[in-house]
Amino acid sequence: MRVQGRSRILVLAAVATVATAWAPGSAPGQEAQALDDAEIAAIVVAANSIDVRQGELARDRAVDERVKQFAQTMITDHTAVNESAGELVARLGVTPRPSEVSRGLEASAEEARKALLAKSGAEFDRAYIAHEVEYHRSVLAAIDELLIPNAKNAELRQTLVSVRPAIEAHLRHAESLQRDLGAS
Amino acid sequence: MSATLWPHRARRRARLGAAGGAFVVAALAAIGWRGPAEGSERHVVEIVGFAFRPAALRVRAGDTVVWINRDVVPHTATGSPAAWDSGELGRGESWSFVPAAPGEFAYVCAFHPSMQGKLVVR
Repeated sequence: MRVQGRSRILVLAAVATVATAWAPGSAPGQEAQALDDAEIAAIVVAANSIDVRQGELARDRAVDERVKQFAQTMITDHTAVNESAGELVARLGVTPRPSEVSRGLEASAEEARKALLAKSGAEFDRAYIAHEVEYHRSVLAAIDELLIPNAKNAELRQTLVSVRPAIEAHLRHAESLQRDLGAS
Repeated sequence: MSATLWPHRARRRARLGAAGGAFVVAALAAIGWRGPAEGSERHVVEIVGFAFRPAALRVRAGDTVVWINRDVVPHTATGSPAAWDSGELGRGESWSFVPAAPGEFAYVCAFHPSMQGKLVVR
């Protein structure tokens, strides 16, 4: 839980950093943009790629069949979202550009991965699902508070809006598994 | 129940070309298939934004129900309990079947359990 909590804190800290970068008195998303579309694209790609990698780890390492299936769904869905995002940025002529936020996400994911690798069996399953709950909560917060308010291109913003239900469904699924695993 | 529920179950790709569609119709006509029963309707359930729309659908036995996946990720329409199953529907793919028996049938997406729908057959 320690690492997952830090992952969430990192994303929320990034949200707060961006929020304070707005000029005093300005409404978020209206002026003094802290992230441009190229940086948002890189954050989307990083966020999806991270969950694909954690999913691959869990697919190979989890013991509970439901956890394995959930991991496979994460691999399939986040790969599909990334492909769709790739099509969009190619069409828009945007080249994803790393930012403090995307680099922070990658660093945090690496730390979470190390913590997961230290676990095995049912303990791994619970740690992975706890990570997924926390991760998807963080991503939802980032979509709402950081990405959608900053996106300038209407199609990019619409993509972020349409990805939100996927993240929400994954979160509900992970929370449900967390309850089941806790009870078993 | 399940045996009578999907007698005309037919998986069909949404991307089937017009020429392919014409060929299928011609082939079915050649074996004496006359098309859907007279008076039967075709209903569409869109899978979009991780939801079945409409979430609850009322049809008559003999109507055709088509599920179309408008999302970029794969989904299924799977009876719960699993009396029928579309199998994996990728982006833009569809699946149809003709319920023959009346009843209320709950279904889910097998990949995303928070996605729930209901089919009421009169």
